[in-house]
Amino acid sequence: MSAVLDTHGKAHDHGHHDHHGGYGGVMRWITTTNHKDIGTLYLWFSFIMFLTGGAMAMVIRAELFEPGLQIVNPEFFNQMTTMHGLIMVFGAIMPAFVGFANWLIPMQIGAPDMAFARMNNWSFWILPFAASLLVMSFFMPGGAPGVGWTMYAPLTVQQGMGMDFTIFAIHLLGMSSIMGSINIITTILNMRAPGMTLMKMPMFCWTWLITAYLLVASMPVLAGAVTMTLTDRHFGTSFFNAAGGGDPVLYQHIFWFFGHPEVYIIALPAFGVISQVIPAFSRKPLFGYASMVYATSAIAILSFMVWAHHMYTTGMPVTGQLFFMYATTLIAIPTGVKVFNWVATMWKGSLTFETPMLFAIGFLFLFTMGGFSGLVLALVPVDIQLQDTYYVVAHFHYVMVAGALFSAFAGIYFWLPKWTGRMYDETLGKWHFWLSMIFFNMIFFVQHFLGLAGMPRRIPDYPLQFETWNKISSIGAFGFGLTQLLFLYIVIKTIRSGEKAPEKPWEGADSLEWTHLPTPAPYHTFETPPVLK
Amino acid sequence: MSRNARTGLILATIALMFFLGIIVKYWLYGR
Repeated sequence: MSAVLDTHGKAHDHGHHDHHGGYGGVMRWITTTNHKDIGTLYLWFSFIMFLTGGAMAMVIRAELFEPGLQIVNPEFFNQMTTMHGLIMVFGAIMPAFVGFANWLIPMQIGAPDMAFARMNNWSFWILPFAASLLVMSFFMPGGAPGVGWTMYAPLTVQQGMGMDFTIFAIHLLGMSSIMGSINIITTILNMRAPGMTLMKMPMFCWTWLITAYLLVASMPVLAGAVTMTLTDRHFGTSFFNAAGGGDPVLYQHIFWFFGHPEVYIIALPAFGVISQVIPAFSRKPLFGYASMVYATSAIAILSFMVWAHHMYTTGMPVTGQLFFMYATTLIAIPTGVKVFNWVATMWKGSLTFETPMLFAIGFLFLFTMGGFSGLVLALVPVDIQLQDTYYVVAHFHYVMVAGALFSAFAGIYFWLPKWTGRMYDETLGKWHFWLSMIFFNMIFFVQHFLGLAGMPRRIPDYPLQFETWNKISSIGAFGFGLTQLLFLYIVIKTIRSGEKAPEKPWEGADSLEWTHLPTPAPYHTFETPPVLK
Repeated sequence: MSRNARTGLILATIALMFFLGIIVKYWLYGR
C-alpha cells in the first residue's frame, strides 16, 4: 500500500462528525444514507435470510434422514428445495457481500461514502419486500413454486400464484443488485482518493468492481427470462411454452447465461475477502497482485462463454459440447493462478492462525476441491452420467458454502474489530471454524458418493442402498445448523461485551481502513480524502 | 451533469438494454 502523506481523515473524524444524522431509533436505519449503516443492514438481513434458508435445509435433510416419506409431502419438499436455493443465493450470499462492499469500499479507496447514497438506501430497503414476497408465496393457493431455484419452463407455466410472487421477488432482487452495482462501479471509478490508482486498490475493491460489471450484464438477462415466464403465464405469449410453439430449452439457455456469471458474482467477492485476509496473517503483501487482477478479469470474461455446460444433456451438437467443455476447463487456468498466488503469499510468511485465517485456509482447501469436482463435471461424458445427481449438489455446495460462506465468515471475524471496536472471543471463533469444517464435510463430502452411485437430486425418497450416506449427511447438516447459532452468539457477545479492540488488531493488515482510520471506524470517514503516493 | 450521474446513467442504460434486448429479440424471433 502507498505511503501516507496526509492523515487528515484520521485526526478529523473523532470530532463533531461522529453522529448518526437527524433520526434515532428505527428511523435512523430506515432513513440512513450512510454506507456503514447500510452495510450493517445488509449483513444482518443476509444473516436472517441465511437462518431462514438454513431452516429449509434442515427440513430437507430431516426428510432425507431415512428412506420413505416421513415428515413432508413431496410437493412441499420441492417447495423447500426451491426456496432454499433462491433464498440462499439471492437473499443470503449476495447481500452479505454487498454488505461487505458497503462497509469497506469507501474506506479502502479513501471516499467519504458511496456515489449515490440515497439510491444505496433504496437498494437495501427493496430487499425485505422481496424476501416477504418469497416467503408469502408459501401461503398462496398451491403453495410456493416447486420448480427448483433455476425455475425451468415449462413447470413454471403450470404453477400456482406463488410463482408470480417469486417472479416479482426476482425482479425486486435484480433491481436491488443492479442499483448496488451501479453504485459500486461509480464509487470505485470516480471517487478514489488522489494517488489511489486502480492498480493500487486493495484486491477486495478489484474483485467487487469486476463483480459489479458481471451483475450489470447478467442480472437484466434473468429479469428478462422471468418476465417472459410471466407473460407466458398470463399474457398469452409462448416464449417457453411448447404448447404454443415456444421452446423450453430456450429458457435454459437464457437462465444459464445469467446463471454461470452468477456463480462468479458470488465467488469473486469471496476471492477478494480471502485476498485481504491471507496477506494480513502471512505478514506479507499479496503475491502476484497484477496477475490476480488479470486472472479475476479472465474468469469474468470466460464466465459468459460457458453457460451451456449446465445443459449437456439437452441434446446439443457434439461441436457445441466440445466448445463448452474446453471453455469451461479453461477457467481452471486463471482460478489456478489465484490459488497459486494465495499459497505463494503464505510461503515463508510469518503465519498465525487466528479465526479469520483458519476460515481462509478452510476456504482454500474446500473451494479448490469444489473447483476440481467442477472440472470433473465439465467433461461431457462424465457430466452426462452425473447430471442431476447428488454429485452436482456436493460440487456446488463446496463452491457456495465452503467458498462463499467460509470467506464471509473469514471477513466478518477479520473486520468485526474495525466495525464494532471490540474483539470477538478467539476460542469460540476457533470452535466455530472447526465445527463448521467437520460438519460441512460430513454433509457434502459423502454426497459425492451418493451422486456417483446414482442418487438423483430433488427427490424426497430414495432406495435403501443410499441410506447410510444420507444419514451421515443429515447428522452433519443438523450439526452445521447448530454451529451457526454459535456464530450468532459470538457476534452478539462481541457487540455487547467483547474486549476493546486495539487500534490495529492485525499487524499485517495494510489497506486504508486499517492504516488511516481509528478502531472502531467513526460514523463519517475520509470527508477530506487522504493523499497517497 | 455530474461525473457520477453520467457514469450511473451509462450503466443503467446498459442494464436496461440487456433487459429489453433479450425480450425483444425472442419476441421478434418467435413471430
